Amino acid sequence: MIPVELRYHTEHEWIRQENQMAVLGITHFAQDALGDIVYLELPKVGVEVRSGQEIGEVESTKTTSPVYTPVSGKIMAVNEELKEKPELVNQDPYGRGWIVKIQMSDPSEAKRLMDAREYGAYLQEKAD
Amino acid sequence: MGDSPRIAVIGGGPGGYVAAIRAAQLGARVSLVEEREVGGTCLNQGCIPSKALIFNAEVVSLLKRAEEFGVRVISEPTYDVTRMLERKQRIVQTQIRGIHSLLKSWGVALIKGRGRLIGPRAVEVTDNGEAVRRLEADRVILATGSKPIKPPIFPFDRARVITSEEALEPRILPKSLLIVGAGVEGCEFGFLYQALGVSVTMVEMKNRPLATEDEEISSLIQREMNKRGIKLHLGVRVEKVSVESAQVVVILSDGQPIAVERVLVSIGRGMNTEGLGLEEAGVLLGKRGEILVDDRMETPAPGVYAIGDAVGKIMLAHVASAEAKVAAANAVTEGGSHSMNYDVVPAGIFTLPEIGTVGLKEWEAAERGLKVRIGRCPFRALGRVHTMDEIVGMVKVIAEQETDRILGVHILGPHASDMVHEAAIAMRLGAKASDMAEMIHAHPTLPEAMMEAAEDVHGSSIHLPRRKVPPAGRPGPS
Repeated sequence: MIPVELRYHTEHEWIRQENQMAVLGITHFAQDALGDIVYLELPKVGVEVRSGQEIGEVESTKTTSPVYTPVSGKIMAVNEELKEKPELVNQDPYGRGWIVKIQMSDPSEAKRLMDAREYGAYLQEKAD
Repeated sequence: MGDSPRIAVIGGGPGGYVAAIRAAQLGARVSLVEEREVGGTCLNQGCIPSKALIFNAEVVSLLKRAEEFGVRVISEPTYDVTRMLERKQRIVQTQIRGIHSLLKSWGVALIKGRGRLIGPRAVEVTDNGEAVRRLEADRVILATGSKPIKPPIFPFDRARVITSEEALEPRILPKSLLIVGAGVEGCEFGFLYQALGVSVTMVEMKNRPLATEDEEISSLIQREMNKRGIKLHLGVRVEKVSVESAQVVVILSDGQPIAVERVLVSIGRGMNTEGLGLEEAGVLLGKRGEILVDDRMETPAPGVYAIGDAVGKIMLAHVASAEAKVAAANAVTEGGSHSMNYDVVPAGIFTLPEIGTVGLKEWEAAERGLKVRIGRCPFRALGRVHTMDEIVGMVKVIAEQETDRILGVHILGPHASDMVHEAAIAMRLGAKASDMAEMIHAHPTLPEAMMEAAEDVHGSSIHLPRRKVPPAGRPGPS
């Protein structure tokens, strides 16, 4: 159930690489752990971010949790649809629930992230 | 009663009327001079009327969400502004009558007019510019309050460019409102007007709203503004204001123009000290125009005391009342040595949701070089808020690392202004975070969040997951 075409961060974000552009969201595991998401604090378009930086926050009915970016670059788009429908992150975390698009300044950062198999093992390790 | 002192109080707000009653309780013969209506800004143009209107907003926002609670509302709720204002006015009138009867019961003579010092031992009362009385007094207490600052850049016309006084009388609600200043008053009006269906934009010079509050409280309230669609421009000033036929156009320092129907200027308050005969009586003013007093609330003119907004220490009604009791006690007993202590001053900010705060903010603790440990509990971790469906916010407890003494508590969430008093009494009694954590809190209630946040100071909150980084100085729960 972990999409093979994506790469994964230890804080449970995924990215999809489209040339220099990275689409970022949170994983199925993350949305499931958070529970019903009621609000997302999103960064402003045009802001420069560094890998490892907190770029937003997810509010669920249970908790609030930061969203980190595993890649550096410039925020090119935020998912405006989430302002009205934050539940899309629960319903479709790898699709319509994407969070931001980042123009990567160092695409090698993406290569250092986990692939689906490694992320699966990482989750297994956490569960044990 | 021949030798009981005669005390004249100028100004009948939450400083002046409290001083008058306390002085009378202590045996003085008291006259209270008030130009307008007792209760001052607080009751007539501030705390009470704005809270009355905010409650309307809460009622409607609940009605709009009624379906979520399984309550069917047949038609869309709408506002009847006239009825809302009537209700507000009724509340204010009831409170005013209450103060009148209290003054009467303590034998305080209420004199209508404007008081000014004639030297340190007499007060002249004028009504519409005509001298109506001269009061001889052994001691005088000045409680003249404050008024909105009105910089000349804003063409105030009481209709389209207004201050808080007119903002509380919105006969017709504007479609759009620009609020200059995102301090306490500006933010309260922002949430109120937005909830009443007005499109609200706020402009603030500093880089965060409620810039003197704890930084986390600012970011939480900023998020609530985002959620509600209140637009916020930070780090900008107003450069130019032009009133046009159909709109008011405001140019910001970043060049951006904003066109709105109405502009509310809420950038602070200045002290009422003009025409009071202060200089002649030997009363001195400070740099901000505040009346200078010692910690006994006495001015350099012996026997003349001053309290409340006019002394500009902390401009809150309840601080004025506390200063009033100190001044009254000192004025009645010659050479009385009561003094003000500002260490524990709780305050409420009536945004949606509201804020309760007492003691040091995190930035203040850092400025003083204090080593602290911080505990937090988001309300959504607990059951009670889910039953109310008001899950936003948190309690933040700041404790001194070495002693565990509580230095400050900051709350954003339902009933925050009520809850903060538990923290205030704890701080007043020098309690530690562990005292608050170990005190049994009733379940299911909002103050459980206080207990959990106090536990979290030591990383041992039951309803929060284990911290990734244990709090400084301790390995975690013992």
